[in-house]
Amino acid sequence: MSEAAPHLVVRSISKRYGPTTVLDHIDLTIRRGELVTLLGPSGCGKTTLLRAIAGLAQPDSGKVELAGRDITHVPPHKRNVGVVFQSYALFPHLTVAGNVAFGLKVRGTARREINAAVERALSLVKLGHLAGRRISALSGGQQQRVALARAIAVEPDVLLFDEALSALDRKLREEMQVELRRLLQDVKATAIFVTHDQDEALTMSDRVAVMNKGRIEQLAEPRELYLRPASLFALNFVGLSTRISGTVLAADNGKVDVETKVGRLSALGNFQTGSPVIVAARPEQLRLGEQSEANSAAGRVRSVVFQGSRTLVEVDAGAGESLLAELSERDGAIPRVHDEIRLSWPVTETFAFPMEAQA
Amino acid sequence: MTEAALPAPVAAPAVDRERLTAIGFVLPSFVIIAGVFALPLVLLLGVSVIDANGLTFANYRRLLGTPYYLGVIWNSLRLGLLTTIIAFLISYPAAFALARAHGALRSVLLATLFLPLAASVIVKAFAWTILLRSDGIVNETLIALGIIEDPIRMIFTETALIVGAVNIFLPFMILPIYAIVAQLDPRYAEAASTLGASPIVTFFHVILPLTLPGIIAGVALVFSLSVSAYVVPTLLIGEKYPTLATTIAKAYLLAREPGFGAAAGVVLLGIAIAVVALSARLSREPK
Repeated sequence: MSEAAPHLVVRSISKRYGPTTVLDHIDLTIRRGELVTLLGPSGCGKTTLLRAIAGLAQPDSGKVELAGRDITHVPPHKRNVGVVFQSYALFPHLTVAGNVAFGLKVRGTARREINAAVERALSLVKLGHLAGRRISALSGGQQQRVALARAIAVEPDVLLFDEALSALDRKLREEMQVELRRLLQDVKATAIFVTHDQDEALTMSDRVAVMNKGRIEQLAEPRELYLRPASLFALNFVGLSTRISGTVLAADNGKVDVETKVGRLSALGNFQTGSPVIVAARPEQLRLGEQSEANSAAGRVRSVVFQGSRTLVEVDAGAGESLLAELSERDGAIPRVHDEIRLSWPVTETFAFPMEAQA
Repeated sequence: MTEAALPAPVAAPAVDRERLTAIGFVLPSFVIIAGVFALPLVLLLGVSVIDANGLTFANYRRLLGTPYYLGVIWNSLRLGLLTTIIAFLISYPAAFALARAHGALRSVLLATLFLPLAASVIVKAFAWTILLRSDGIVNETLIALGIIEDPIRMIFTETALIVGAVNIFLPFMILPIYAIVAQLDPRYAEAASTLGASPIVTFFHVILPLTLPGIIAGVALVFSLSVSAYVVPTLLIGEKYPTLATTIAKAYLLAREPGFGAAAGVVLLGIAIAVVALSARLSREPK
């Protein structure tokens, strides 16, 4: 995909509800064919941003451009967006085919064309055999597919998913994540997902925007987001981590030495000497035993959680600090609860974040 | 071996007990409905077709064969239809306003709907006569404001009748529609708009069909109440607008013709049943 031209551009949009700032000068540019997730806790503004793009919420300031057109003040029915709602909002008085045909019918499309498009959309979501069914006769997973087919049938410029998978049970949701991503790539759709589920975000998206308090904290590819979180909030919200508080002793060229209650640790980051910081590392970076030129800390194993291919070991490092390590059987015996162990991890995989940004 | 092939039907007593329990639950309501509703209805039917000489359809011939009584039936239908249509036109937007209102405003609006139900129909009809009569509040106000010089004849006109009937039966239209509208997920309208439907298209293709059950319930209620109204036409228009209800009363109380009154009652019941059956059919989800 080399279609790098901006397709959807959100320029500094803000939205307040009374005293609460829901969107705080958000900028977001999405390329044609890109799948982007807005990830964040409830109340972070992700749904409001999606609704502003759909035209269902009017921003107080800022602009929205879609396919080269300024749609900031265009009503939703003239925007050519497709929305899949969390509750699906399928019309209960229409059949499956009636729902999928709705968007084309109100556009005045010729009947023969509608029938072909409905058939195509339903076969895409593998529901061709249920065209004549009533909505109430469908399972949750089937309704989800009908909602998707209905949104796709009008060939929108952008597809918007508002927590669209969260009503499904876990197994079905995980299957749908993979299937939906493949389907959207097949039809070369540009899509934005809103979710609070980090697995969904990492699985489905080309890029993830982590949102907090009406701002985008980080916009990055899933891999980069996980490996190089830009803020403590992003670190906490995506994946697990070991976090230890301390004070910067020495700073030098993007690297800091930090005095903590579990010993002196080195981390990446730019801080002034004396700054309070949080030092963090992903659990899979922690290994049993010493390594040269690495951070290390010791403690007593508090819990061991077997998760199949990996085992999560939580270590009480004393002084209220704990370490979280993800160990594999291949790298040696897994310690047991109450064992005294030492863990070490590379300095290049250790981050420091300012203390006051505690999420 | 033959004895062993026929085990005792152990499950049977349990089933019988369940059935007995069910019958026990149904029995009281069945007795009440049969005693105070079905039986009098059968008697009513009987009285309307049996006189001293045996079986007769004279009452129905008189009712359905004379222009005067056809006019009476039309008056009842007209009262029912006009009241229902006007009440619907007022109630539909009102139900949406009620559903959109929040907090104290919604409570106040709901109270203004429910409180009048506590007052007798007679009181409300009289209130309208006080408002509308020649020296009533409406005329006096208009004269005082210099808009008119002589009082307008308002009481004992069809307009007065319909205005009063609409006012009195309005809650029975608003409440069932409101009950549906209040539960209508706003996402339906949003989904329609993102699919390209303008507000007007959304209204006719999504909102209206989804609120149809409330409309049908309200129409059935208001029509059956107004088509059979007695107090309202008696007080607001009187003799010159005879309806089936006033005819029934006259047949029993003045003319002493119970057979004819019963026949009029059966016709009125027939109209009401037809409307209720039709609305039940319309509100049933198509397969």
